[in-house]
Amino acid sequence: MRWIAKNIALLLCAAGSAHAAGSGDAPADDLDALSLADKAPTAAPKESLQWRAFVEGAGGVGRLRQDTSKFSILRGSFDFRADAALAQGLRAVFSDRLDLVDSDGVPPGENVNTLREAYLSWARTEDQVLDLGRVNIRNGAAMGFNPTDWFKANALRAIVNPDPAVLRENRQGTVVLQGQQLWSRASLTAAFSPRLARSADSATFALNVGATNPENRYLMAGSYKLSDKMNPQLLVYGGEDTPPQVGLNLSALVGDSAVAYGEFTVGKGASLIAQALTLPEPQSYQQRAALGLTYTTGFNLSLTAEAQYSSAAPTASQWDDLPGAVQQQLLLTAQSLQDLPTRSQLFFFAAWKDAIVQRFDLSGFLRQDLQTNSQALWLEGRYSWQSAELALQWQLYTGSAGSLYAAVPQSQTIQLVLRMYL
Amino acid sequence: MKLDIVLRAVVFALCLALSFVASAERSAQDILAASDAIRNPSKSFAVTVTMLEYRSGKQTDENTLTIYSKADATNGQYRSLIRFVAPQRDADKLMLKNGNDLWFYDPSSKASIRLSPQQRLLGQASNGDVVTVNLAKDYKAELLGEEDVADGERVMRRSYKLGLAAASPDVTYHRVEMWVETTSSRPIKARFFAESGHLLKTAYYRKYQMQLGNERPTEVVIIDGLDPSWVTVLRYSDYAWREVPDAWLQRDYLPRFKPS
Repeated sequence: MRWIAKNIALLLCAAGSAHAAGSGDAPADDLDALSLADKAPTAAPKESLQWRAFVEGAGGVGRLRQDTSKFSILRGSFDFRADAALAQGLRAVFSDRLDLVDSDGVPPGENVNTLREAYLSWARTEDQVLDLGRVNIRNGAAMGFNPTDWFKANALRAIVNPDPAVLRENRQGTVVLQGQQLWSRASLTAAFSPRLARSADSATFALNVGATNPENRYLMAGSYKLSDKMNPQLLVYGGEDTPPQVGLNLSALVGDSAVAYGEFTVGKGASLIAQALTLPEPQSYQQRAALGLTYTTGFNLSLTAEAQYSSAAPTASQWDDLPGAVQQQLLLTAQSLQDLPTRSQLFFFAAWKDAIVQRFDLSGFLRQDLQTNSQALWLEGRYSWQSAELALQWQLYTGSAGSLYAAVPQSQTIQLVLRMYL
Repeated sequence: MKLDIVLRAVVFALCLALSFVASAERSAQDILAASDAIRNPSKSFAVTVTMLEYRSGKQTDENTLTIYSKADATNGQYRSLIRFVAPQRDADKLMLKNGNDLWFYDPSSKASIRLSPQQRLLGQASNGDVVTVNLAKDYKAELLGEEDVADGERVMRRSYKLGLAAASPDVTYHRVEMWVETTSSRPIKARFFAESGHLLKTAYYRKYQMQLGNERPTEVVIIDGLDPSWVTVLRYSDYAWREVPDAWLQRDYLPRFKPS
């Protein structure tokens, strides 16, 4: 009797569950997800802050190429950025970074403060804006080499990370008066950067305007949106010691997974060798270009390939003819100007957000010098919490003796970096 | 004579059938447009979106965004400017979305980078999931039937089941199934499919509240098609009418954007 009752109960349960799983009911997985969402915290949304600050500590080791000896790096950094609305249409931006570096490598560690930006911005109307102060004016569609980013020259005070995005971030702006007029499909920008000093100042807290404002210069940039897929930008740049340079930035969507981009400049200028050795060489027309494509996979891995060219940089035979010390001087000059050190390079970049596990990002680049067949490689794994990040970075320079990247004093470095947001 | 009558009858029947089909299609598109009007305010507006992401029952991420949206006068589709508010490492980053014209701006590096629609900045949610989209502008709707379906609060609702086919190859999803309540035109849930036919995600529209003159969903629960334990809760708050000038919605304004 009990057996019959039990089976009847089971049948009734089965019938009941069949009804619950009817066509209109949510599937079990959906019900689980909705139950989870029911329990989600209901705190008020986070408010926007007018500032961002973090401290960063890094420790690492490296190996010098010349005597294969090891060196160490210890770094502490404080990074602050504030962007506040002072009144209707008036905005103040301040951005600064202090790096305290202790290293027995080449170059040795030093303490450097970088005043990146300090300016006032006044929006007379929604479509007319004036800026006055030190502004990081950055142009360029490319990722690894930006010929139209003219104000990048001598803008770096400390290189703590060779990632091109970080180099663009941790640099000094130029002191400028800048105006911009916007339309719904177009914009026009005019900037004047006055000469404030002739030479750079390496003191820790120096404003270093001799590096960012060594001559009277101008920049005009105009863009027009031809279509959703095409928005070119035309630029003209020059100064009292700089002949007019013309630049073009282009980017276009290719399907729904790829973006193609190109960046070109032409104008009279000195060769990199003449600039590195301050030779009185007559200026000639120089062309610089970067042409690339970024493809994103279905699992959010973005792969970029970029071809880079500068007629001002030495060819393989010109490089080979230079003594070793001059090669190093040329490399330092290219690094300071953020210009291409040899005539042509390939640049590959990969970024994988939420790689393997969530909140873990992998990124890296390879610079392949086509003139001397040498390579610069950088890889980073970064895990993020809500207010902290932990990163492991590895940098490697390879190439035979006499090649471009064999001129870099260190052959490799590895660093662990911890960042805490305040 | 007889043949003539038969032919006339056949032509009449065909016309009747065709007009019925046409009317049903128009009706499905109207239903979709009505559900769009429930989700999307009629004028330019701002809203705060809190994104909570869960994996296997545990919260793994949280982002807060403010979205400024405005319908394009020429094609009726929304253009949006998305400002990242939290976490702090992403604060003040911007994304501009105008159809497939997508730009990302980082105030630290001052870089405006064009994105492809495939690039996702926000975990499971595609860039199109968080912003306002008029589906009726991007998809051709077909009425697949009427059925009772459980909504996000597990209440059975009499709904139209719509099949949406992408009207152009530029849209985020190849095919969508959508359930819209027959009486109120409220979107209940939607299933989004890839071109290969596999389910990408399921979304439940829930917690309807009066916002900007209409009862609108203030929460969307997104469930991954491959891994149902991957759940994203999008919570919409602080709705406000907000003038969004055209100048805001172009790449060169991004460095200028500073909402008061």
